[in-house]
Amino acid sequence: MQTQSDKVATPLRRLAIHSTTTCSAEATAYGKCILSTYLDVRKDTCKQEFEKFGQCLRQAVGS
Amino acid sequence: MLRPPTLPRRSSSFETPRVGVYKVFDREAKRLQKDFAARRDGGERSRTVDYLRDEVAERLMERFLDIKRKFDTIIDLGCGPGHFSKLLEPNKTRKVVMIDSSRESLYRDPDEEFDVEIERIHADEESLLNILPRQSQEAVVSCLSLHWINDLPGVLVQVKEALKPDGLFLGAMFGGDTLFELRTALQLAELDREGGISPHVSPMTDTRDVSNLLGRAGFTLLTVDTDEVRVGYPSMWELLEDLKDMGEGNAIFGRRHFIHRDTLAAASAIYKEMHGTEDGTVPATFQVIYMIGWKPSPTQRQPLERGSAEMSLKDVL
Repeated sequence: MQTQSDKVATPLRRLAIHSTTTCSAEATAYGKCILSTYLDVRKDTCKQEFEKFGQCLRQAVGS
Repeated sequence: MLRPPTLPRRSSSFETPRVGVYKVFDREAKRLQKDFAARRDGGERSRTVDYLRDEVAERLMERFLDIKRKFDTIIDLGCGPGHFSKLLEPNKTRKVVMIDSSRESLYRDPDEEFDVEIERIHADEESLLNILPRQSQEAVVSCLSLHWINDLPGVLVQVKEALKPDGLFLGAMFGGDTLFELRTALQLAELDREGGISPHVSPMTDTRDVSNLLGRAGFTLLTVDTDEVRVGYPSMWELLEDLKDMGEGNAIFGRRHFIHRDTLAAASAIYKEMHGTEDGTVPATFQVIYMIGWKPSPTQRQPLERGSAEMSLKDVL
């Protein structure tokens, strides 16, 4: 069902779906990292966590 | 001969603003967004996101009904498709004049949906006195349109000028806490991903400022109160989609015209982690400021002179 909707959806829609479902574990890990440092966030504070999240997204959106 | 001393040239590292002091919002972009939103899928998309404005219109109507007066004509300023005007009953007013800068919103819904006589005027709310003569109106109502006005003090003065003495101004506008969840999530995402922030959520008027603004515009007998509408969404993406369908996209001058996909994905994760509720949805807060003001008139009841009381308040209480 999801692959069906993937084909008709816009790229942004696909990003929305995968960031909240397919990659939700990586999203949560990234969110928790930001939350733990949110009073002092600078560039790339949570770089590692985001890379995992981003990698998952690229894989999911690309497939 | 001495040359007159030349003043050192004023230099500043800041770019001179290309537009006037009060220009925060791009009104033309806003009009296009509203037109686009109201036209999308023949108005269907716009109708599905009426929930927020309909809710606030009803709450504003409760306040309107508390005013025990019958009007002949009411102005609905920045009416959209008429969320407030549709609730008007013939026992409170004979006619309503709807003014909006978005033509598509103004004509979205047919006349049959209204219970009172209506007139539609397609014009910019920011130049109200070009549409209405001075001292001509009994009541002006504005339901959720003032947050896109550049010169809010100026528009309030125009409203007061358009009113007859003892005329009523009743308004609802989004307050400063509106969409704070989205604002914080986007800011944190931009900080972490890009190392800086840019404006995505409008600056909005603080509750405390509203009574000052009304007072400065010359209204008396002010009543200002606030409440919140909290809406639950499956995720940040549905919120963004609905805001777009409401015609409430970003229209700040100098805005970035896109947000990087990484930043959006990051913001969605942060939004959920920071503000998400136990049932898996994310809330969005809309703070609404309700305001009532009257144009001064000698017939209005004035406060009694100090010390003129004949009874002690202590005896009454």
